[in-house]
Formats: sequence, C-alpha cells, structure tokens
Amino acid sequence: MLLSRTAGAVLMAVAMDIAPQQTTAELFDDAVLHTVQLFINSRDLTILRQRFGENIYMPADIVIDGTRVRNVAVRVRGTASRNPTKMGLRVDFNFYTPGQRFRGLESIVLDNLYQDSSNIREMLAMNVFRRMGEPAPREAFCRMSINNQYQGLYGLVEEIVPEFAAGVTGEADGFLFEYHNSFPYRGEDLGPGFDLYKMLFEPRSHELETDEQLYGPIRDLFHDMNEPDDAVWLERMTPRLDLPQFMRSVGIEAALAEMDGVLGFFGMNNFYLHRSAVTGQQRIFIWDRDFAMSFLDLSVVRGLVDYPIFGRAFANSELRTAYLDAAENVARMIADNDWLESEVNRLAALIDTATREDPKKPFTNEFFDQEIAFLREFARFRPAFLMDEIARVR
Amino acid sequence: MSETGTGLGRSWTAGACALVMALVLPTPRAWAQTSAAGTAPAPAAEPAPAPAPPDAPKLRNVHFRWDDHPTLHLAKGTRIVFRARFQVDNRHSDAPIPDADDSSVDVARKRIGVEGEIAGLFDFQVERELTEDDPWRDVYVNYKQFEQAQFQAGKFKQPFSLDENTSPTNLDFVYRSMIATRLAPGRDIGWMAHGRVVNRIFRYEIGMFEHDGQNARPRNPERVSGDQTWAMRFGAQPFRTSKTILEDLLVGIAMTRSDLSDQTGLPEGIPGLRARTAFDQTFFNQDVWIRGRRERRGYEARWRPGPASIKAEYIRVTDERLDQSVEDTDLSPFLAKGWYVSGTFALTGEKKADGLDVPRRPLGRGGIGAVELALRLEEMTFGSEAADDVPSTSPRADVILGNTDRVTTFGVNWYLNRWVKIQFNVIRDKITDPSQGPLPSQPVIWNRVVRFQFQL
Repeated sequence: MLLSRTAGAVLMAVAMDIAPQQTTAELFDDAVLHTVQLFINSRDLTILRQRFGENIYMPADIVIDGTRVRNVAVRVRGTASRNPTKMGLRVDFNFYTPGQRFRGLESIVLDNLYQDSSNIREMLAMNVFRRMGEPAPREAFCRMSINNQYQGLYGLVEEIVPEFAAGVTGEADGFLFEYHNSFPYRGEDLGPGFDLYKMLFEPRSHELETDEQLYGPIRDLFHDMNEPDDAVWLERMTPRLDLPQFMRSVGIEAALAEMDGVLGFFGMNNFYLHRSAVTGQQRIFIWDRDFAMSFLDLSVVRGLVDYPIFGRAFANSELRTAYLDAAENVARMIADNDWLESEVNRLAALIDTATREDPKKPFTNEFFDQEIAFLREFARFRPAFLMDEIARVR
Repeated sequence: MSETGTGLGRSWTAGACALVMALVLPTPRAWAQTSAAGTAPAPAAEPAPAPAPPDAPKLRNVHFRWDDHPTLHLAKGTRIVFRARFQVDNRHSDAPIPDADDSSVDVARKRIGVEGEIAGLFDFQVERELTEDDPWRDVYVNYKQFEQAQFQAGKFKQPFSLDENTSPTNLDFVYRSMIATRLAPGRDIGWMAHGRVVNRIFRYEIGMFEHDGQNARPRNPERVSGDQTWAMRFGAQPFRTSKTILEDLLVGIAMTRSDLSDQTGLPEGIPGLRARTAFDQTFFNQDVWIRGRRERRGYEARWRPGPASIKAEYIRVTDERLDQSVEDTDLSPFLAKGWYVSGTFALTGEKKADGLDVPRRPLGRGGIGAVELALRLEEMTFGSEAADDVPSTSPRADVILGNTDRVTTFGVNWYLNRWVKIQFNVIRDKITDPSQGPLPSQPVIWNRVVRFQFQL
C-alpha cells in the first residue's frame, strides 16, 4: 500500500544511515586504497559531461567498499580542476532521500586530483594541519569507476558542512561560508554594499537569512581590517576574527609553501569562513591543498608583501609569534624521524598501481615519478630552510 | 481552470454575446454531452433510439421551433439544435489557487455549439469554447443506422471513465472526480465503433485515437504522453429487462494502451500526468523518467434507484520506465491510481435516472425547482508499483516517494428550472505528505465553490 509506504518513508528518513556500524574513521582510513563505484544512467552521464560547467545534480547509486547507497545525487565540482574527462564530483546522500546518510555523512567529495601530478600533496598537507591541531577535512584514496569503467585515482574527501564546523566549534547553529576566488581579492574594503561579498562568500548554512544577516558581519570584518588607526585595530578586529587561529593556520600554510591558499598567489582561495551565532567571531577552515609543497624555498613571510592586512597582524608581537611558532612547529614535525619523507613513500606506494593505470590523468607516469621525487626532496630540504628563515625573522 | 474572469459583469456580457451568436449564426458551432440521464455523450453511452426509415429531405418543411432547445428543422430526420452553456464559479481555498486573480470569480465555461442529426442516419456535434486557447471541444459525426454497430469519427472523449464522459450539465458536483480529471484520457481525435447489443444489456466502445487525450497531454513539450492510443470500454446493465429496482444498475470496465513519447517524438521524458487537487494545486511534482507503454485500467459502476444514485470508479494508470535506472535497466512502472464513491439524493423527489435538469416543479411555476444533496469520497495516489525499498524523490528511484490526496466533497445542487442550476460544494483535501503539497505544513485544506450555470 503506497500510502503507508509514503508515511513510513518520511519517518524512516529522519535518521536513516547506511552502514552506521562502520565509522567515518574507517571510511577515511588513508592506509587503505578504497573502492568507489558510481552508477549513473548513460543519458545523465552524457549530460553531466556535456554540461560539466554547471552544478546540475544527477541521480546515481554509489558503492563504497562494497556498501551500496541508492538514490544519491552527484554533480560536477571544482573550479580550475573542473573538466568533463576526469570529473571531480560531489556526492549528496540526502538530496533525493531526506535524512539518508552514509556512515553519518550527508555528503562526500570525490576529488579528481587533476592539478597535482604527484596525487598526494593534498593528503600530505591535510595530515600536517591535523597533526598541528588545526581542523582539516579527512581524506583517503580510492579507485573510482563509473558504470564499471575505471576513472582513475580519486581522493575521498570529507566535505566541510555545518556538521563539520559544529564538531570543531561545539556550536550547531553557526554561519558557514565557502569562499570562491571569483576575482583576485586580498582583503580590501569592498564598500558598504553586499554584491561583491556575495560573489566571494557562498552561504552553506542559514541560506534563507537576509543579506544583512549573512553578509553584514563579513562586510564589517573587511571594513575594520582596513581601518587606518593602528591603535584600535586589534581591539576592533578581535571580536570579528579569531586572529590567533587565523595566524596559526596561515603560518602552517606558509611552512608548506602553499601558493593557492588563504594568502595565495592569485588572491585568497580555498577556505571556509565560519561565524559563531553566539559571539559573532569568525574563523577559517582550510580546504583543497593540492598546490602545497610546490616550492622548496618559498619565503615564510611572503604574505607580508602581497597582503598588507596580514602585515598589520604580523606587526603585533603576539600574533607574529603565533604565526612563526606554527611555521617552526611544522618544520620540526615534518623533520622528526623523517616523518614527511616516510609519508611520501607510504602514500606513493599505496597509490602507485592505481595512478599508473589511471586512464584519465592529465600527466604521464614519468611526470608522476618526478613529482614524487620532488616531494622527497622537499621533505629533506624544507625543514632546514624554514628553521633558518624563521630564526632570521624573529 | 484555465480562464479566469475579471468579474461577473464581464462574464455575463460575454455570455449574452455568445447566446446571440448561437441563435443567429447558421454556422455550426458547438455543444455536446446530452443525455438527460446524465451520464455519457449521447452517441457513446446513450445512443439514440433506432432511426426512422430515411426520408428524402423536403425543404418546404424547414422551420424553426423551440423544443427543449432552439431547433432548426430542415426535413424529417434532419435538424440542427443550437446550444449554449455558461458557468461562473466563485471559489475560495485555504491554499493559493494557481492562475486565479483576486476576484475569486472564475468563468469556468463559455461554450456554444450545435448538434443534430442528418437524414436519421447521422448524429453530429460541433462545440466550441469561447476562448483563443484550444477552443474546439467535441467535433464529430456518428453513423447510427444500426444501433448494434455505430461508427463515430472526429474529436470527442475517449471511451474511458464514467465520470469523465458525463456531461458538465449533469455533473453531481462542481468538479469531476480527480481521477476522471487527471487520469482519464479525455478528448482526442480518432474513431470509434460502438453499439448496444442483446436487448441493450451490453454496450461496447472500441476506438483508436491520435494520442491519449487532452487530460494527459501537457502543454510543456518536454513532458511525455501517449502516442496513438487504443481505447475500449465495455458495460453491462444485467438487470435491464428485469423491471426491478436493479434495472438501472450499470457496471463496466475500460482500458487504454499507448506508447509514450514527447511532442518532438523522443520516447522518454517526464510524465504529463498531473497530481493536482480540484483547485489545480499540485501535491506531487517529481520529475521521474518514463519510457515505454502507458496503460490504463478502469472499473465503474452506477445505480440510480428512484431519487437516489450511487456511482463509483477505480482508475489505475501505469507508465513503463524501460532503461531508466542508474544502470540503464528497467524500473518499476510509474503508477497513478485512485477511486471515488459518490451518492446523491433528490430532496424534491425527481427520479435521478430521468435527470434533474428538467425539474417537476420549476421555480416560479409553483415549485422551487429540484434540490439534491451529494457526497463524494475520493482518493488519488501517485508513486511507483515497487514498494520494497526506501522511497526516494530521485527521478530514477525504483520506489518513488509518492503522495496521496484524500478528498471529501459535500454538495447541494439546485436546479431552478431547465436553464439555471446552482451548485455549492465544500471540499476537504487531506494530503498524506503535505511537504509536497500547496501548504507544506498543513495536511488539510478546506475549499468551497459556488457555481452558477446557465444553459440553453
């Protein structure tokens, strides 16, 4: 009887978790090469590839390590990495079936690893952030197929959603925004209107709130950040931004020679902004670090040149110390027992076959080998470079 | 309701103009659905008696006479009857009414037309709505020389559903049942063989149509409906010759079958069937993919003992979903189904089988007209045949998260005289999953409507 089925479905969907007995830790176990199979109707798959630039959701089934989740929704994701050949995908478990989760998650990201010829930069960077006490999305590698055709090596990435933020902040009702590098932006005051801020910050919670509620505090943050009076700058900024957390995060980023992060070469990028609904203070969560470790000798204080507002925080002794300590701690940690080089070797071995068999990767196997070799060199060279530069800067 | 008037004044102006046109224009225009018994179009379900022997037309017999309706007699067995009908509704609903303006007055119908017969061998009917948008209604000719084997061609309602084939004049409620309005095929262009056999105990209608009817044919060209459609309907009045209280009992079955395609010929898409309340409010709007065959099954019964009547129907429509799963395999068919049971009772004592549209004691002639009470219970459900998984709104889910509207309608019908009828209905919709309905936090929606009808 459809009637009872309908009513029952509404009740069941309230808390329907596929494979709840398994943990997200197992899902993101980076010691294992997972398998992910997607099944998408051939018509929908053609549309996904033809219209890869749009955020069109298509229905699919996903099988993760043998557990099938029916009626999920997938869409192409990514900015520079977005392409129709090896599609980066967002998988939404509850788009079509309200309340459906997989191991407690509402969604996951299938990262196409399209911009990193080593395939392991992001995984390494996220591990560093977590080991340094900064929250970062959990990740694992997987062999991904669509309709039983191997698509290559993918990253299985925890998405930053309100629940992720709540797990870090302990606050369930905060405001979460995904930053989009819609134009090169380095923290200038964009004026009293919201239009430009709306291009940069996409709400991931409280989507139905008014512009004033959503963007008013962001506008005020960047307005106060650019106020000329140094004497009151810190006093004004502190309620608006968790400055120590910000400095720690960009300090780690700088130590990892990141070129496409919060203080990126081409403007701010790859982070989420979270605002407490209680205090109004904001903080950042990092995202997408596949350009980390691209330079051996990138200066740890490069941001002082490109980001004047960062320079104002750096001028404060406590914040400067927080920044340099974070960078120095990274240097010590990655050098400790050759941790980073060991990680490079471990992950490279884990993905070696899957990468070489990847039919859609935009680079050759020779280039993959060269990039892995470069990361080994980075692991050996970077700590000493950092310690030397940090000592000079202090 | 596709048209919405701006007020009663405008409606009556249009109505008066149409009436004059109907009376003075010799061009055949429109009117359909007769049957004093209030069931089906005359040629389809209530065929005329056996024709008189054909006689050569004699022009000297041409004359105009007001019988039940204005009629031009051209010769023996050849006549043209002019018809007109205007309906104005005053509606109110707890939920927003699509396409309704602020006046809450809706001109439901403005139709004119002609019907008649030719040489006692043919019936014809031409009916037109006074609107620019798809104006033609019934336009057909019926060859009726042999009651057992008649042939009808043109545009008319497919032989499916008792309620859908009841003339608007004779509806027991302001609106037809949801299943008749949404699931029965309605009008289309085609042909039909039909007749009554074995002392008129059994009736049959078998036809082929270009598509599967206007009710299922969406305006959105990307939605799919049935292509060439076979339709058939069989009925029986098993006690017709018994002269008992069961004499009028009618039971019947019907079916249609067609292949699905959209208006560009593509064989797959989202269905044109619409899950809407009587006031056009959507309660299921999921775009599931369909491909393959559409089949309808209908079961109907009617009994009209004295001043009372009971009518019931069950309709089930399935659209195949071949190759539509995420693995390009078949899904369980998309399913729309429903039923209604309705009853009426004439307080003023008229026999329902004879029709109430001609009251025994009309208003102003020593009586108050005919007054009738009516009650209808109905249900319509959209979903899928499969039920063995968690329902989903995915367009490729095997088990669709469906929805159901259960409706109770109470009505009073007042036939003032043969031309004027006033109906009042209170309609209670109860939507199983209100989140898919017009008021997402409110499962019960109350509606009321008053219809004023003038017919010539």
